[in-house]
Amino acid sequence: MSRTTVALVSTALLLTACGGGGQIGDTGGTGDAKKMVLIPGVAAEPFYISMECGFREAASAAGYEVDVQAPAKFDATLQTPIVTGVLANKPGAVLIAPTDDKAMAGPMRQLKDAGIKVVEVDTKLEDTSIASSTISSDNEQGGRLAARTLAELVGDRPGSVLVLNTKAGTSTTDARAAGFEEEVKKHPNLKYVGQQYTDNEPDQAASKVTATLSANPDLIGVFATNLNTGEGAATGLRNAGKTGVVNLVGFDASPKQVEDLRGGAVQALIAQDPATIGRTGVEQAVAALEGKPVQRDIETDLVALTKADMEANSKYFYRQRC
Amino acid sequence: MTPRTGLRRRLVGANTLWIAVVLLVLIAVFGALRPDAVLTAFTLQTTLVETSVLLVLSVGMTYVIITAGIDLSVGSVLVFSGVTSAMTMNALHDGNATTAGWGVVLVGLLVALASGAAWGLVNGLLIARTGIPPLIVTLGSFGAALGAGQLISNGSNVAGVPDVLSDTLGTGTWFGVPNLVLLAAAVTAVGALVLGTTAFGRHTYAIGSNEEAARRAGIPVTRHLVRVYLLAGVLAGLAGFMALAYFRVASITGHDTDNLNAIAAVVLGGTSLFGGAGSVVGTVLGVFIPAVLRKGFVIVGVNVYWQPIAVALVLVAAVWLDQSRRRARDKR
Repeated sequence: MSRTTVALVSTALLLTACGGGGQIGDTGGTGDAKKMVLIPGVAAEPFYISMECGFREAASAAGYEVDVQAPAKFDATLQTPIVTGVLANKPGAVLIAPTDDKAMAGPMRQLKDAGIKVVEVDTKLEDTSIASSTISSDNEQGGRLAARTLAELVGDRPGSVLVLNTKAGTSTTDARAAGFEEEVKKHPNLKYVGQQYTDNEPDQAASKVTATLSANPDLIGVFATNLNTGEGAATGLRNAGKTGVVNLVGFDASPKQVEDLRGGAVQALIAQDPATIGRTGVEQAVAALEGKPVQRDIETDLVALTKADMEANSKYFYRQRC
Repeated sequence: MTPRTGLRRRLVGANTLWIAVVLLVLIAVFGALRPDAVLTAFTLQTTLVETSVLLVLSVGMTYVIITAGIDLSVGSVLVFSGVTSAMTMNALHDGNATTAGWGVVLVGLLVALASGAAWGLVNGLLIARTGIPPLIVTLGSFGAALGAGQLISNGSNVAGVPDVLSDTLGTGTWFGVPNLVLLAAAVTAVGALVLGTTAFGRHTYAIGSNEEAARRAGIPVTRHLVRVYLLAGVLAGLAGFMALAYFRVASITGHDTDNLNAIAAVVLGGTSLFGGAGSVVGTVLGVFIPAVLRKGFVIVGVNVYWQPIAVALVLVAAVWLDQSRRRARDKR
């Protein structure tokens, strides 16, 4: 190594060391405090679109410029560049549905360190020190509501009840299943035969429903904890000729699910209230920006939709566009 | 050697016999534990229907793996074909094809097959002409086909499947046999015959055994490989159409592991990942072993966390049994 190289390398090292402990993303400068950005978990999903509708409406009403940036898949590696991109523009507040409760902590902390108010919507980080507020559905309440709705549909008839869950360890669907299990035990005519995991694949859900029908011919109710399990369960019941005989309670209210409820393939849906989540997120972000008190955790209620009352509750249907 | 011992040796040496025995043992065990629930027409019917789509995918995969290739894209191509087919049918019928007639369904079928064929052709041309390994090419089309499907459908599931399609192909039966199963059985039978009795089949084995030798023997290797991936693509397109009829919706997110399930079925059925050996009959058995296990575990009430472990153990044990038996045979 020549003397010049050594000198250059040492200078470079020295410069790095003296750089003031900077981090990637330190852009400096000021952004636009009257701007609010929503980063949903995934693009083009009716749940997040409905949330976006509530967000746009409330933020515009409060006098904020709005922007929505969604990753193509529910994936932290796709959401991270969006967060850092938004960081460069320095909006006043960011509403985000973190796609991973640990991996998103780093990028979101950068937002906070840059003085941007962070509000979590729908999902949340394990680290509760980053966001000013968290607004999410009370999934356990949703599960309990599913059990109560099923009990009402069934009446006094006795029979077995199955829960179709997605992947073991998914916090939202596990909470739904737990709430259901807790509540269903209060109804002695319903025999809970446990939950089955489906890897979020409709064909496995269909197969597990028909297998349960073989083992428990008195099956009277199925609670499917998300969209894919619901579609698989409806297929399995249709193949078994048990549509409507076995009461199927689904989760969420995307247009196809609402159509299935109307058509009789599903007997009840437990709908979240994404528009309210979006609106409440804006309220909390505004409060944080204006230095008013912020509520740290807010859980929005879920509602049960059955064929009888669905048209009266059409405001809970998820939307494909605002 | 008398003819009788010759027959016995051939049977014992047959590639698929031991896998068939494993399948029968599984059915016997579950049947003994819950005869009232397992050995019923209902369980048979539903098990067959639920494996039909995977079976069609796996037939195409068998050809690909026999050429010493792999196709990771089948599940994504299935999704893409289902989406294009459903959206075409909807477009032909004012945005909702639920009440559409057979003409629209036929167009939908052709679109699904063409979509599958297009991806198969892309895979085949890239693999045969450019020399990029099949694993990489199809890993690329695995992502690209799914992305394209999401792009066209705007990321959400596509509904509006014609009732005439879902009521006949999806849930209809013919003398008690589901139509979906009949279609899958027909595809499988043709696939087995072509592989076992035609020049196309022999060329497939030859390329898998030794590509260079096949080329020197005058087999048009490049053209043949393109055709094999084209076949896998077309069958994935057909599987997409079948899934559409079965689930009444083109599901975007529900087929992430179809490729691995098909590969597992093919390998479990005795087809060598190194190419040159295998059979469609074996693949049929390989498709049913995991299906029977999953169903049986639910029926007899095995703990949900044990189920994937038990499935994995049986899969590995079955292939190990098959391999050690073959090694013993090759030593003789």
